[in-house]
Amino acid sequence: MPRGLLRVFANLGWTVYVVAIVTWLLFPLSLILLSSFQGTISITTDVSNLNVSAYEAIPDRYWNSLWFTVQISVVATVTALLVSVPAAWAMVRGKLAERRFLSNVVLLPDVVPHIILGIALLTLYLQIGLARTWLGMLLAMLSLSLAMGLRFTEALLEGLPEEYELAAETMGANKLQALVLILMPLMAPGLATAALFIFISNMVTFELLFFISGPNASPIAVRLFSDIIDRGIMPHSVAMASIMIYISIAFYVIVALTLGPKYLAGSTVSRKG
Amino acid sequence: MTTDSGKTMAVGAATAISDLTRKRRRRREMLYRLCALPAILTTVCITLVPMGLLLWLSLQDQRDGGFSLRYYIATLTDPFFLRTLGTTLSIALGVTVTSIILAMPLAYLLARKTLLRNVIMPVISVPRMLPFVVVGYAMILLMAPVTGVLIQALNALGIVDGPIFFLFDWPGQAIAFGYSGIVVATAVLSGVLMSVDRQLEQAAVSMGASPLRAFREITLPLAVPGIIAASALIFTTIITAYSVPVILNGRVPYMISIIIASNLLTLQQHHLAYAQAIIVTVIAISVTVAAQLVLVRYGRRS
Repeated sequence: MPRGLLRVFANLGWTVYVVAIVTWLLFPLSLILLSSFQGTISITTDVSNLNVSAYEAIPDRYWNSLWFTVQISVVATVTALLVSVPAAWAMVRGKLAERRFLSNVVLLPDVVPHIILGIALLTLYLQIGLARTWLGMLLAMLSLSLAMGLRFTEALLEGLPEEYELAAETMGANKLQALVLILMPLMAPGLATAALFIFISNMVTFELLFFISGPNASPIAVRLFSDIIDRGIMPHSVAMASIMIYISIAFYVIVALTLGPKYLAGSTVSRKG
Repeated sequence: MTTDSGKTMAVGAATAISDLTRKRRRRREMLYRLCALPAILTTVCITLVPMGLLLWLSLQDQRDGGFSLRYYIATLTDPFFLRTLGTTLSIALGVTVTSIILAMPLAYLLARKTLLRNVIMPVISVPRMLPFVVVGYAMILLMAPVTGVLIQALNALGIVDGPIFFLFDWPGQAIAFGYSGIVVATAVLSGVLMSVDRQLEQAAVSMGASPLRAFREITLPLAVPGIIAASALIFTTIITAYSVPVILNGRVPYMISIIIASNLLTLQQHHLAYAQAIIVTVIAISVTVAAQLVLVRYGRRS
């Protein structure tokens, strides 16, 4: 009998632990959502007066920042994939002697701390007049997306056997045809996933962009940050923070629907590298 | 026709063919290099050049432009800087260890129970794709000295009386970092634990080991690469974080990034900030490289 009792206690312990840690991870975020619907930062347990006034009060500069972030994230993601697919192909299929070196160069932005890269970019941009501009932000984001893109596409290509391409070439296709007709369709689903992950991590980049952003080119994370410094925490900022949470949830719903939840585990993508 | 001339012809043809293949191979290598070129160029322009410029400027005197090591010497002999570096590193270390320990059992459970993983994993991954600023907002709503939900609850229960100010002190920052540390650690560790063959554990248990002992002696050593990778990731993220340290900052800066930013933005000590930035970069990259080296060695041994 003590053995059965022991098991009951062990199971109870596990349950308490899991519930505690999941609560700890979700409770703070649910406070943001609750606060955004109560329209005040002083949260009460009264849920009868939920309203969307905080969302209506979101000023234009927030929407502009969000739109701006979406734009540069999309452009950076697409450009990064366009550049990294041929690069990954050359590195995986090319068997170049300097392959490790080349691929490490492109992966460098992942190793350098973002905040330092941001400061370094500021010094460079001040000399060439790119500081606080749309293009400057885009280029900064591109370096990061490129590192992520190369890692994704290299892994993708390593998973595809070269024989398919070689067979196409034996049957008379040239390199380009083999690439477009054989490789591209095989890579397409993986590329879509990669695009999704690169896009969302571009959306949340902060440290890299903080120093080179300005009033006219301010991503949403920087906007949320500088507003809390200038004005303190405001209901409309909380509403915008909630929108960021919705975006994250939407991202995971899409990933779970297209790839299955299994994909979420592991270090396939991380905030920093 | 002698055999000799036939041989010469054959040799000549062979050289011509090998010449042709060599030329073809070279052309192909050129094509590959050309394909890799845009990616390399972009990274060189947007990462290597700025980092080189940073290093170059950090070695220059801000007033006369001459070579000087004074900013490095000034930084490394400044007790205030060194103390802040010390707190930064100890907060980062403490938070990293704590989040790994707290996340380990959850990661194990998620790796072994498919149903639980499919339900919990997507839910707890949400904070991973949020700007860290949003986590800062959440912490303020939870623990702000007067309006925080936790503080209100403690007051209502009569445990404390009045506001508590720990949020805007190092505990607040440590809690915020621990929050995202647990998220990262759970994701990385569950991925690694999933790849550990569970039959090994079952074998150990069937031979008389307790489940705990099987975990400690079989599973844990196999998960070490994941622990190292996750630790390096969490540690370097914390020592270079900027948003939450500023949002939750008190009177004394606890994080090194705040000193660098204030030298750069408000005190106009640009070159000093550059030197400090280089020092932080060296620390962060050393941690990453050390983790890589350990991983490589570990991989070779097993």
